[in-house]
Amino acid sequence: MINFKSRRDFLFEAGGGISGVALAWLMSQQGLLGAATAGTGCDARPMPDSANTPKKPHFRPRATSVISLFMSGGVSHMETFDPKPALEKYAGRPLEGKGEVVVRQGHPGPLMPSVFKFKNYGQSGLPVSEIFPKIASHIDDIAVLRSVYGKSNDHVQAHYELASGVIRMGYPSLGSWVTYGLGSENQSLPAFVVIYDARGGPFGGPANWSAGFMPAAYQGTVFRASDNPIVDLKPPAGTTPEQQRARLDLLGKLNEMDLKKYPGSSELAARISSYELAYRMQGCAPEAVDVNSESPATKKLYGLDEEATQPFGRQCLMARRLVERGVRFVQLYHGGLGMQNVDTWDAHENVKTNHTRNAAATDGPISGLLTDLKARGLLDTTLVIWQGEFGRMPISQRGLGRDHNPGAMSIWMAGAKIKGGQAIGASDEFGYKAEQQPIPIHDLHATILNLLGMDHTRLTYLFNGRNMRLTDVYGELIPQLTA
Amino acid sequence: MRDQTPSSRNTAPNVLVALLFLLAPMQAAEKPVSFAKDIQPILENSCLKCHGAAIQLSKFDLRTRESAMKGGEKGPAIVPGKPEESKLYRLVAGLEKPAMPMDGKLTPAQVAAFKQWITDGAKWEGSVVAESKDAASQLAALEELKITDEMRKYWAFQKPARPSVPANGERNPVDAFLLKALTERGLKPSPQADRRTLVRRAYLDLTGLPPTPAEVLEFVNDKSLRSWENLIDRLLASPSYGERWGRHWLDVARYADSNGYEHDFNRPNAWRYRDYVIRSFNKDTPYNVFLQEQIAGDEMDWVTEDSLIATGFLRSYAKVGFREADNPQYRFEYLDDMIATVGRGVIGLTVQCARCHNHKFDPIAQKDYYKMQAALYGYVEVDHPLTSPEEAAAYSNAVEEVEAKLRPLKADVKEIEQQYRAILLPEKYKKFPANILEAINTPEEKRTPGQVLLANQIIRTVNVTPAEIERIMKPEDLVRKKRINAEIAAIEKMRPAPIPVAMGVTDGDFRFTPDGPGDEPAPGKGIKRQTGGSFLFKGPGRYEPQPNYFLYRGDLESRGSKMQPGFVTVATYGNPPVELPPSHGRTSGRRRALAEWLGSPENPLTARVFVNRIWHHHFGRGIVSTLDNFGKMGELPTHPELLDWLATEFMNRGWSVKQIHRLLMTSNAYKQSSQTAAGENLAKDPDNKYLWRFRIQRLEAEIVRDAVLAVSGGLNRTMGGPAVFPKIQSEVLASMKLGIWEVEQDGPKVWRRSVYVYRKRGLPFPMFEVFDLPDQNVSCGRRNVSTVPTQALTLLNNEFVLRQAKLFADRVVEAAGTDRAKQIDLAYELALARGPNAEERALAESFLSKQPLADFTHVLVNLNEFLYMR
Repeated sequence: MINFKSRRDFLFEAGGGISGVALAWLMSQQGLLGAATAGTGCDARPMPDSANTPKKPHFRPRATSVISLFMSGGVSHMETFDPKPALEKYAGRPLEGKGEVVVRQGHPGPLMPSVFKFKNYGQSGLPVSEIFPKIASHIDDIAVLRSVYGKSNDHVQAHYELASGVIRMGYPSLGSWVTYGLGSENQSLPAFVVIYDARGGPFGGPANWSAGFMPAAYQGTVFRASDNPIVDLKPPAGTTPEQQRARLDLLGKLNEMDLKKYPGSSELAARISSYELAYRMQGCAPEAVDVNSESPATKKLYGLDEEATQPFGRQCLMARRLVERGVRFVQLYHGGLGMQNVDTWDAHENVKTNHTRNAAATDGPISGLLTDLKARGLLDTTLVIWQGEFGRMPISQRGLGRDHNPGAMSIWMAGAKIKGGQAIGASDEFGYKAEQQPIPIHDLHATILNLLGMDHTRLTYLFNGRNMRLTDVYGELIPQLTA
Repeated sequence: MRDQTPSSRNTAPNVLVALLFLLAPMQAAEKPVSFAKDIQPILENSCLKCHGAAIQLSKFDLRTRESAMKGGEKGPAIVPGKPEESKLYRLVAGLEKPAMPMDGKLTPAQVAAFKQWITDGAKWEGSVVAESKDAASQLAALEELKITDEMRKYWAFQKPARPSVPANGERNPVDAFLLKALTERGLKPSPQADRRTLVRRAYLDLTGLPPTPAEVLEFVNDKSLRSWENLIDRLLASPSYGERWGRHWLDVARYADSNGYEHDFNRPNAWRYRDYVIRSFNKDTPYNVFLQEQIAGDEMDWVTEDSLIATGFLRSYAKVGFREADNPQYRFEYLDDMIATVGRGVIGLTVQCARCHNHKFDPIAQKDYYKMQAALYGYVEVDHPLTSPEEAAAYSNAVEEVEAKLRPLKADVKEIEQQYRAILLPEKYKKFPANILEAINTPEEKRTPGQVLLANQIIRTVNVTPAEIERIMKPEDLVRKKRINAEIAAIEKMRPAPIPVAMGVTDGDFRFTPDGPGDEPAPGKGIKRQTGGSFLFKGPGRYEPQPNYFLYRGDLESRGSKMQPGFVTVATYGNPPVELPPSHGRTSGRRRALAEWLGSPENPLTARVFVNRIWHHHFGRGIVSTLDNFGKMGELPTHPELLDWLATEFMNRGWSVKQIHRLLMTSNAYKQSSQTAAGENLAKDPDNKYLWRFRIQRLEAEIVRDAVLAVSGGLNRTMGGPAVFPKIQSEVLASMKLGIWEVEQDGPKVWRRSVYVYRKRGLPFPMFEVFDLPDQNVSCGRRNVSTVPTQALTLLNNEFVLRQAKLFADRVVEAAGTDRAKQIDLAYELALARGPNAEERALAESFLSKQPLADFTHVLVNLNEFLYMR
């Protein structure tokens, strides 16, 4: 993993001695603070001994980075991307002929038609619900997967399955696997960044971005939308930059002297450079998420000018800035634990009010993200995934709500040069179960890795004597996306 | 995760077969297919063992045309005349997965015959297919894996033999074995490390705390011949030893203070198990007894408070909140977790991989898995009272007395409230939409099926609260109710204080588990209530566990034979008992038998696996580097003879862990320097597999924090008791709001050793997490060691670290006064157990001429030297 020699060579080439490098860098840092563009110090730098050193994919990738938009709480597919006319016809009747109807809460209700209208959009004419008019305008760039299904109707286990392929805690997340497989294009920022809803984390908390049995280097780093985006990024008030520089300088010198006692120890050398990296991150991370430096037009595009769209708009804009700077995997969550039935997509009480509000908060920002990525030529190299942890029931819950349904959900992808304007797979006439081309989560993961140039059967991590895979022993590619 | 080789699902040949048979109809047309001659034999030989009399996997039965046509849970299997639409054909032709039959492929001719037969209408001659074998032998064939002598020959399944110690002049047998391996490879051991390095190494290794300057001097100035041995004895006798080594075991035991999953409920008594582990290491409880207590502490003849607490080991699995009785399938996951933990943690085998099929790499039969499940199957979660039985009985009587007094009063309240409930409920219904109201207002017998559902959703779940009722109560009723409530409150005061309990397990019947905190019905669930049994065994006679069954492919619906308890066959010698019923008869004695087998000298794995763990923690790499996997996918031992010698020595010395520490730490190998100039050794063995020098080891997450607290002087050495909650930034807390994190002031109260920090499954303590805290949900022997910038950020900027650096500086000033040279000396002594050299001193002097001392002490706790044991 770590190549000591090349690091040493690099240091010597750079002028000898760690403090020399540190100093040179610190000086460049002075000029760099506040710089809005990458290219002056916060971009890729040769740092060959990092766990995040870029690695070659197995084959030519379609995309090099991922933005995953997670709608926590569970989005109703029947109210968004999977219209079900049969529900109109059978409204008010029990759901029958599909085996036992398993609900998460209370008792099953009768079939309930979609509370929203659908319209056909774009050249492809794919139907999208009225609550996503802006996302709908991109439909020709979007492939909707209508037959994804999961294993659990509990929020947390379902989150974990989407995150890691396993409903239990303790397995590396997709972002960890991708980072492990590809490293990062930017050595001054974490490779795998998580930005969750300002109202609170998603169901299941940090286990969603855990590295499981892999080293901590591959776990997601949480960013917040402030000028101090990472916990402990900056010293508490009272420490001047000069003070910190002096400490780092002394630390570097003492560590470098100590290293002479351990010639050949890549581990100790890596720790020395981790301090350089950390220091660089202090400047680069705030710059990377500084949405204020964006033009008014861009801010508007993401809905930063409106109260409803501002929070998620900020997350989306941060995601674009991070991807632009070479961050490999950005995981956004919309919906935070607080008032579960209101602040997340968990529409037990009233799917109409819940989804209307949550769609209003995300439609503009997501549309803005797609527009912006495309305009900057980033959409071709970025895979955008939109998902929740499960779909919802075609039957009503207490008249207006819908319960959890892992049997069918709609997920969409855009970017990565995939063919847009297509619907893949189908749920049954009511939307209760995936019917045509059922897509388990392992297939989704296999496909995502494929789009990033990795063969899911070859991306393995040796743990306790076994070559572990994100897809375990499963996983088939979704041909409409990879062929 | 189940082990399965991807290659077993290789699809290419199937595709080829399918392609070949595009030509098949033409050929087949020439020769009509006969059911009796062509199809029936294939069914009998390849299909019926899983889809016949013995079992019908996927609820698919191929014995009769009727059942075959009906299909299974995955739908119809045969569409006469249309093979391409027939699942049966698609599966045998490999067009769909899983390709059938599961255990092999049909020949191209057989596949062609199926195709032709379906094309011809899938005619069935005769009503029933004669089965070639009877159901029992069919079942047996599916379930049995013959363990051959060849399988037993694998090194780890052979009992450790006592090898003779190489005669090469080394006094300590450990050195003799190591030197032999070094010499064979042309490697030379390193010289001994200096005494200051050694004393720091021993302290960090055995107690997890750096030595104080006085402790350093005590050792450095001890000129006696036995100074090193005496030091080790002192440290082994220190209570901090258990806090350090107990933590290693807690990793194996996947210990945590919360449930995990959605609600992440608090486990208020989990800490007792943590303290038990610390105590056991300090007492040097023989390891086999330690295992017995943890697996069957409630079943022993000598049940003690500690042995009851110890059963918390089995219960330390992550758990989905809410009543288990409503989710019986979860129980199989918890059993799986126990099997995984005992398998990997105690015998170094991935037994859990055999849940759905025979183990792919090791000769572990699927049946072994279910035999082990049988040994554990009777378990129930229970809070063992930690009092005398008399006190416990008195407590439950007193509680029952209170409850008995409350019952009529509560009934009275309910009665008073009833009329108001009847008024309020229809009011409450009004907030629901029109379709609901319509359903509720429709007389029950006239409701459409959909309306029945709508009405039930509301009527069964909507309730009124006492507060709502009070708002509309007539004054006289309110007065009456308040009077009764006052009586209730008075009686409640008589409720006895809870007695201490331990979170553990015993045998019982989980279906009758009483509802308790964290085990109450989920909202809208818990309607079904089992009757006709009792949770704990109350007699007469002996307790019998519920039967468990072999489960084909691990599927709860696909039951095979009823299982008897047992062990991993390939690692079992002789005929050890599988049940050792205790005299009280309240448990089956199956766990006791399992514990006996695990801790028996006849078990080839247990001692090896544990001495290897000890070795790993001392030397940074196990003799078998895969601590939790001694199977074929694990690494081979670098020193097989040494491992066997140590394993036998361990057992000969009564499974004493402390004696193994003493043995290893008094070796020259342990005392070697870790600094060796690049040379031949490095070229020949760059990974230091053969221990030609001591391996430097980064401090573990908890020890980083403990060491910082120790040098700052802030460490609160109080042992045991409920967990503490050091400060977590509110932004981080926001990522996992459920469960608890009692925010406490940063200060001495929380400056306890890190082993006492609350382990929240849903939210690992951030400072630990960045330093490679293992996942808290699965058994873990060897932690990862990674180097990431967030570690640097934590040590540079974290408020806690900065505060301790300041305390460290204050401590230095207090002891050394204002003399800068003395300050530098003392700070070095405290942090690194040595004084500065000239160059370091000069750098320090120059730094301190401009910067405050706290900045200097902050630098010291960031040094590589500080963060490593070496």
